[in-house]
Amino acid sequence: MPLYEVLLQQLANGLILGSFYALVALGYSMVYGVIKLLNFAHGDLYMVGAFAGFGALSLISGWAGGGWGGIVPAILFSMLAVGVLGVIIDRVAYRPLREAPKLSVLITALAVSMLLENVALAFTGGQYTAFTTSLGFAGINLGMVHVTWTQMVLVGTSVVLMVVLELFVSGTRHGKAMRAIAIDQDACRLMGIDVDRTIALTFLIGSALAAAAGVLAGVYYGSINFFMGFLIGLKAFTAAVIGGIGSIPGAMLGGILLGLLEAFGTQIPGVGSEWKDVFVFAFLILFLVFRPTGLLGQPEVERM
Amino acid sequence: MKKGVILAAAGLLVLGLAGVGPARAAAITIGAQVPTSGSEAPYGIDMLNAIRMAAGEINAKGGVLGEKISILPGDAACDPQAAVNAASKLVSQGVTGVVGGYCSGATLPTLKVYGDAHVPFVITASNSTELIGANPGNAFMINSTGFDQVKTAVNLFKARGIKTLAIINEGDAYSANLAELTRTAWEKLGNKVVDYEVVSKGQQDFSPVVTRIRQRNPQAVFWTAYYADGALLIKQLRQGGYAGMIALGDGNNSPKLFQLAGAAAEGVFCFSNPTANFLPEAKTFIENYQKQFHQPPGPYSALSYDGMMLLAHAITVAGSTDRMKIIAALKQTDNFPGISGPVSFTPKNTLARSNFVVLLGKSGQWTLYTGPGAPGGK
Repeated sequence: MPLYEVLLQQLANGLILGSFYALVALGYSMVYGVIKLLNFAHGDLYMVGAFAGFGALSLISGWAGGGWGGIVPAILFSMLAVGVLGVIIDRVAYRPLREAPKLSVLITALAVSMLLENVALAFTGGQYTAFTTSLGFAGINLGMVHVTWTQMVLVGTSVVLMVVLELFVSGTRHGKAMRAIAIDQDACRLMGIDVDRTIALTFLIGSALAAAAGVLAGVYYGSINFFMGFLIGLKAFTAAVIGGIGSIPGAMLGGILLGLLEAFGTQIPGVGSEWKDVFVFAFLILFLVFRPTGLLGQPEVERM
Repeated sequence: MKKGVILAAAGLLVLGLAGVGPARAAAITIGAQVPTSGSEAPYGIDMLNAIRMAAGEINAKGGVLGEKISILPGDAACDPQAAVNAASKLVSQGVTGVVGGYCSGATLPTLKVYGDAHVPFVITASNSTELIGANPGNAFMINSTGFDQVKTAVNLFKARGIKTLAIINEGDAYSANLAELTRTAWEKLGNKVVDYEVVSKGQQDFSPVVTRIRQRNPQAVFWTAYYADGALLIKQLRQGGYAGMIALGDGNNSPKLFQLAGAAAEGVFCFSNPTANFLPEAKTFIENYQKQFHQPPGPYSALSYDGMMLLAHAITVAGSTDRMKIIAALKQTDNFPGISGPVSFTPKNTLARSNFVVLLGKSGQWTLYTGPGAPGGK
């Protein structure tokens, strides 16, 4: 395989990996942007989404088939179910702590994460579940570079979801309310904005995006397990920070950048993939030293 | 009313104290250290079933030294920390001996726990060579070690005309050890390891590594970690257009691999200790296991059954439940007739012979490979 084809293939790999990170990072970033909470349970919502999608697909694949005809309804169902779960989590675990110190909410988020993971562990017995679909390996070949249709649909879906989200947040009244809450919750209340409902909406959308990513990952990799949200949760958090946490285009950029870094990191001459994560996270540290607000983040003004 | 509560509390306290006190139960208790939760739980439960079955058969014949054997499971969860907790708990519960040990990384730190308490430990699956040096003398490995696996692997690669090899592991004690040993042995023969990769456990996307492998184009890829991630790797290798030989270490002998990897697992090789269905002596064992647990025995069931039988035999030979005497009896084991083959130990307490076989993925299941390079053949 000539070098330029290798690099081209790694570019494709990085974009695909990055679009998963970006989808999960969006939820992180949205929630942080609005209520300044690092929702550590977010990665686990991705996992729950994968299982919800799997359950839905198993039920309907009898008549809808294991192709996109069955997958698309499964994704929609999973987004709805996990979106509602996200709202419930906010209502039960985060809303009562809205006025509490930030650290308490953070610990609660960790607890929710472990709760979800262990419930899934108990239900699945720790078994890896095969997510079988009828999607094949067919796709486009450019020399030895191979990109399957499934991969293209995945990246396409992520991009569409991100664009819709950005339009929603920047163009609608609800989006405006979210941005307003991010600036000053009390002022919003005085202006007649239903703060709790808007925050619930943020959780609904963020969780639904994580669920979409989870089902897509299940479809793409063909295997799901109770622990699948852990690593991607960390990576997505990293992506959100690189992009500038709180910024939607930033989360997208950060996710794609992290995916590319991982793909090309494997390719660094002289070292093996053993060092890949070392490079990725060393880059993160350096990056944050020189640009602590991330790519598109706004420097925070301390209000007293 | 209040008095009643206090009395009840005091009663509970006394009961609790009795529970944690030094256990001097009449029956002989044997610990079963296996993963019963986490990704490797299916293997662990198979092992536990087999150990329980062996104990049941012994008890049906009157037990050991006139005592019944009872089994205490300890969940190692394929995690070093959980394993040490489980081991300490077993020791504090006063077990006479321990059978089991699946993930080498989890078994490794428990050697010291059992060593300090002089508890005889029959290791039935873990086989990293790191266990050999760390063994304080009370542990006995009845599964062939990584050295034997490497020999089997290198012979197969040689016989199939492989010159260039890629090795992928997950950086844990078991898979890194097997990968390192294979690299050393392979390079000693004058062959090349063109790519050596380490991936993270649970990382679902292997595409960057797959691309790198296609660039280096090795004739064979050797995956030394476990089946769950292995299935994804195989699938992505084939999806990415890699057409060479794929071989897997002994953590991949699971029917689940075929569910997860689908058609990509066809023609894939796997090194393994002998699974019950490839053992002529294990016919009754399989039938009984199937009858009792309503499923076929897993890959480490036969060895775990042997481990329990061997420990019971050693207790009989020792003539007492004195742990030091049992350890001495285990050391003297001479061709103990196990269903997985005769058991004798080297001076380092490892199995005296290699029991590795080569399996080939065919029509969605593992079959015994007997072609060029198979152990026992030419």
